[in-house]
Amino acid sequence: MSLWKLEWIRLFRTKRWIALLGVYVFFGLVGPLTARYISEILESFGGGVQVVVPEPVAADGIASYVSNAAQIGLLVSVGVAAAALAFDAKPQMGVFLRTRVARTSDIIAPRYLVVTAAVVAAFTLGSVAALYESTVLMGSLPFGGWLLGTLLGCLYLAFAVAVVAAVAGKTQSVLIAATVSIGVLLLLPIVGIAPLVGEWLPSHLVGAIDSLVRGGPASDYLRASLVTMALTLGSLALAVRWAEQREL
Amino acid sequence: MMIRTTGLTKLYGTTTALDGVDLNVAPGSVYGLVGPNGAGKTTLLGVLSGLRSAGGGSIKVATEDIGVLPDTPHFDAWLTAREVVDLARVLGNHSSDVSRVDELLELSGIGEAADRSVGGFSRGMLQRLGLAATLVGDPDLVLLDEPCSALDPLGRREVLDLIARLRGEATVVFSSHILADVQEVCDTVGILRQGRLIFEGPLQELLVGTAVPHYAVRLRAPLDPVVRELQRLDWVREVTILDPEQIRVTANSLTEAERHLVAALAATGAHVVSLAPEAPSLEDVFLELVA
Repeated sequence: MSLWKLEWIRLFRTKRWIALLGVYVFFGLVGPLTARYISEILESFGGGVQVVVPEPVAADGIASYVSNAAQIGLLVSVGVAAAALAFDAKPQMGVFLRTRVARTSDIIAPRYLVVTAAVVAAFTLGSVAALYESTVLMGSLPFGGWLLGTLLGCLYLAFAVAVVAAVAGKTQSVLIAATVSIGVLLLLPIVGIAPLVGEWLPSHLVGAIDSLVRGGPASDYLRASLVTMALTLGSLALAVRWAEQREL
Repeated sequence: MMIRTTGLTKLYGTTTALDGVDLNVAPGSVYGLVGPNGAGKTTLLGVLSGLRSAGGGSIKVATEDIGVLPDTPHFDAWLTAREVVDLARVLGNHSSDVSRVDELLELSGIGEAADRSVGGFSRGMLQRLGLAATLVGDPDLVLLDEPCSALDPLGRREVLDLIARLRGEATVVFSSHILADVQEVCDTVGILRQGRLIFEGPLQELLVGTAVPHYAVRLRAPLDPVVRELQRLDWVREVTILDPEQIRVTANSLTEAERHLVAALAATGAHVVSLAPEAPSLEDVFLELVA
């Protein structure tokens, strides 16, 4: 039994993988469906009122998936990450691990990477489901744009998990780690409203796939990608530093 | 020395948790750390294990191979007992053979529960599991914080035997509120009070050197005249009637008791059935020191 195997076991025995996969794949399947039939859905609730919406295109299916994934999916991902990364939440468990490893990073690395891998895999599978269904229901999509958009979404999620790791390094509670992380991640798009700032922020990557499948230029996301990578590494460094400073 | 601290201090805000602790733990010894609640035992073990920083003073620990057992061990509920101990084995000492896992589970008395998830374990079982996980890597230094606090009498017996067996093979520092346990397995004792180490030394030295000499005297009734006569003597500190045929005489010193007690009893005309010094327990000495 190693710390890497421990993390995989945690993911499967706690059934957290089901929560991750379930939420992303569900929205990957439902998103394009609602985009395709939005007019009919609205009319059925409209009491005879005719609702006129633009004819849906395949990219709307992806947009619908992304908007749900960026909210509910992110909440679930942060919850799963906080439960794994707040390893001092029960101090006696922290004692067990901390007194047996040479560096705190030995504990954080497998937890971060396994959770990130699971979140990224779930998001990608959801994206594949959204691509397939959008194509079937509304027509083809540019594969290159979809692939790059999915990768940028994965990069954002890797950043989100790193934020959780950093916050968990400062706070011991799973609930506080999750709540503060959500707060930080929600703050970014608000900051991004300011002119010229938004395109530098990690939150800019959330909608990348929607724009890219509509033919938007990939170069729009270069700056945000670089900043996200730097912030991810910075968050992980903070996670290790803060966790090392904590006394049990 | 396996552990040597000099002037060790630790503050939590304005509260002094450790106040100039000079601790000396010899290699291969079983060192009992006792003290009332809040005396600083857990903080001291935390500092020695590196989980807490010292505020001042110096610490020298002769090994990095340290096993730590917190007072209420906790593990991921979905792991089996065997997986917990195996994880501890892999993390602690890669050269330790996998067969050591089952061996320690058996020695700790939870061999039959090896494949059960620890989520259903009682506190006593968790303590046994924690001990197995602590010892599986054969650490040079074992720090045990109240290892028997949740155990039933049988469990306590098994764990004390396990600790006693470590003598000479590893150095054990063992904090406990159960003074009888410390008296049974420890060869050296440190008594902490309000963050200060008020005594450190061999257990026998503590028991013989510090305790007030008590003598149990069994005699025929009536006791009252004897008690009154003895209470008049200036070397007698206290006379207590224990039952209708027994009194306890507490002297100011062992020497005075040895020199005068027999003669004093004879002078009262008492019908003495038996007379024996009461061996002080660690609890007696502890209560006297921390009072």
